[in-house]
Amino acid sequence: MASTLFRTIQIHPFFLYPTALFSRRNGVLYCTMKSSQTQTATQEKQQPPKVKVPQHALKKTVDKITRDYEAIIGIETHVQLSTLTKAFCSCPYNYGSQPNTNICPICMGLPGALPVLNSKVIEFAVKLGLALNCKLSLNSKFDRKQYFYPDLPKGYQISQFDIPIATGGYVDLDLPLEFGGGHRKFGITRVHMEEDAGKLLHSGNGDYSQVDLNRAGVPLLEIVSEPDMRTGIEAAEYAAELQRVVRYLGISNGNMQEGSLRCDVNVSIRPVGQSEFGTKVEIKNLNSFSSINRAIDFEISRQALLHSQGQSDQIVQETRLWEEGAQKTVTMRKKEGLSDYRYFPEPDLPEVILTQEYVDSISNSLPELPEAKRRRYEKMGLSMQDVLFLANDMNVAEYFDETLSSGADIKLAANWIMGDIAAYMKNEKLSINDIKLTPQELAELIASIKSGTISGKIGKEILSELLAKGGTVKGLIEEKDLIQIADPVEIGKMIDKVISENPKQLEQYRSGKTKLQGFFAGQVMKLSKGKANPGLLNKILLEKLNGQS
Amino acid sequence: MGSRALLMLTNFNFKATVSSFGSASNPFFLIKNNLRIRNFSTKTRSSLQPPDLPGLAETARISLAPNEVEEFAPKIGQVIDWFGQLQAVDLDNVEPAIRADTEGDNLREDVPQTFENKEALIASVPSYEEPYIKVPKVLNKE
Repeated sequence: MASTLFRTIQIHPFFLYPTALFSRRNGVLYCTMKSSQTQTATQEKQQPPKVKVPQHALKKTVDKITRDYEAIIGIETHVQLSTLTKAFCSCPYNYGSQPNTNICPICMGLPGALPVLNSKVIEFAVKLGLALNCKLSLNSKFDRKQYFYPDLPKGYQISQFDIPIATGGYVDLDLPLEFGGGHRKFGITRVHMEEDAGKLLHSGNGDYSQVDLNRAGVPLLEIVSEPDMRTGIEAAEYAAELQRVVRYLGISNGNMQEGSLRCDVNVSIRPVGQSEFGTKVEIKNLNSFSSINRAIDFEISRQALLHSQGQSDQIVQETRLWEEGAQKTVTMRKKEGLSDYRYFPEPDLPEVILTQEYVDSISNSLPELPEAKRRRYEKMGLSMQDVLFLANDMNVAEYFDETLSSGADIKLAANWIMGDIAAYMKNEKLSINDIKLTPQELAELIASIKSGTISGKIGKEILSELLAKGGTVKGLIEEKDLIQIADPVEIGKMIDKVISENPKQLEQYRSGKTKLQGFFAGQVMKLSKGKANPGLLNKILLEKLNGQS
Repeated sequence: MGSRALLMLTNFNFKATVSSFGSASNPFFLIKNNLRIRNFSTKTRSSLQPPDLPGLAETARISLAPNEVEEFAPKIGQVIDWFGQLQAVDLDNVEPAIRADTEGDNLREDVPQTFENKEALIASVPSYEEPYIKVPKVLNKE
């Protein structure tokens, strides 16, 4: 059955090249299929001649080709730092300001202007270097990277070339469970400081472009990874972890859509077992983690297909753009040799000198990082799914930790946060810092349910009020008289009342309709205004219904 | 454009500071204001590569006519050879320095300060189409 599906493949927007292969190979089979259809047309229901292939079927065949090849992926990430001023001048930077309003002679590169380094940039660079387990260069320098482009006012970018501030680190992460899970460790080659260029807008018509220098001079940290990633999902998760780390450190808001986290990906493939690397292709214009994932998978398929068709020489070292709409990479420009940036030490800036005391003080001030949190939560006995959810957002983790420190049960706290509270946040589009329920009250709620003071059902009901309006658990319990009724005598009396008021149902129950127990239970619940302890209720009810008391 | 480059060369003030390289046997000499290239010592070895002038001009975005290329190549070569004297220094016992100066940080606090005369900045832009700076369309960075 699966084979017939393969024969009649419609061009699937997801993988362009592989389908071309199939239609060629299976051209003959397609005709046979059609003739058999006309024969049975009168007998069977008309089958549509072209069947849309389910994604997983296509992927299986693409996987078959790509299994013979190993993909080597490296990522260059630029993180825009959330300092109050730019890197080399005191201009403020606000995303979304009117064009050319956050400018001064220094960031405009006017003659005579000299750069002065923002001390916060060094601090943030050291924080990131330590968080990525790098070796810090206590002495480093700035260099000029020279090229001409309209958004580069000075004609050079102040960067760090041969002596970056941090080298040789790594990042630990866990792959999401829906992609198979697993722990990974990816190397970090270097981290260095540099400045951003302005924004260049190309007008649709006409022979001119427009420059906005607000962003020129904004500090960036460039993170270069070792080519350790092997699949799209590993690369996407690496980028997600970098986002987590910079947010935990408070050095950037790490927003891909805003441009404060930019990733360029380098992909090459080689036949399994070969030691030489294949030709490297760079992919730009990736605006989300899922684009990183899909673009890399597409590029691996594209290259693998060319290889398998004996056209591996068609893979050239170039820069390709990811087109989100078409879901494919396209050529942007071919790399004509390596660029000559004529690097030389920036004469206008002194050496960057770090003392061991400075580094140590920053090291001691670092918050608990995502990896450490995940391992700690794992040790607490939480499942991997819970761990990944709770440690993803620093604020959620903090909320969870605070709830625990107020004495709440670990698993119950995790369940409430991941379930009802997360759903509420999603509905109301709020972050966990905006909800009115405090961690202490959540702990109180959990304790009240656990001790039997209120029933679980009541607990869920007052949760909504606590989330929206705040208040205390104890206060609400008192105000609305919600204390659970757990006295068997009292419950017994209520059950007796309900049974006496419903003789017909009692008879039906006793003659076999045992499902009516639910009806009675519901009536008692109503009578008790939801406060009857469900377990006790059902136990006593069963006894009474069966005539045992 | 090429003549402007020549002007730059002739007006250069070559001043060599006496360095702290202990083992230097060749003292650097001061060259007076108007650079007289003809006064170059012929004793210096020019084992350095002659400059690729057309390539240099391309990367510097300075256009040179063929006769200017011919004229400037040896002159620039001589400037390079003058710096080439540094190769005679014995560096066996010298630790490589990251930078030439010895003073450290000159840092600034992360406190915003708006530049007051932004109007003058905008006014100095030759081609301004509010609110953007208008530039020729350049698609490739190279």
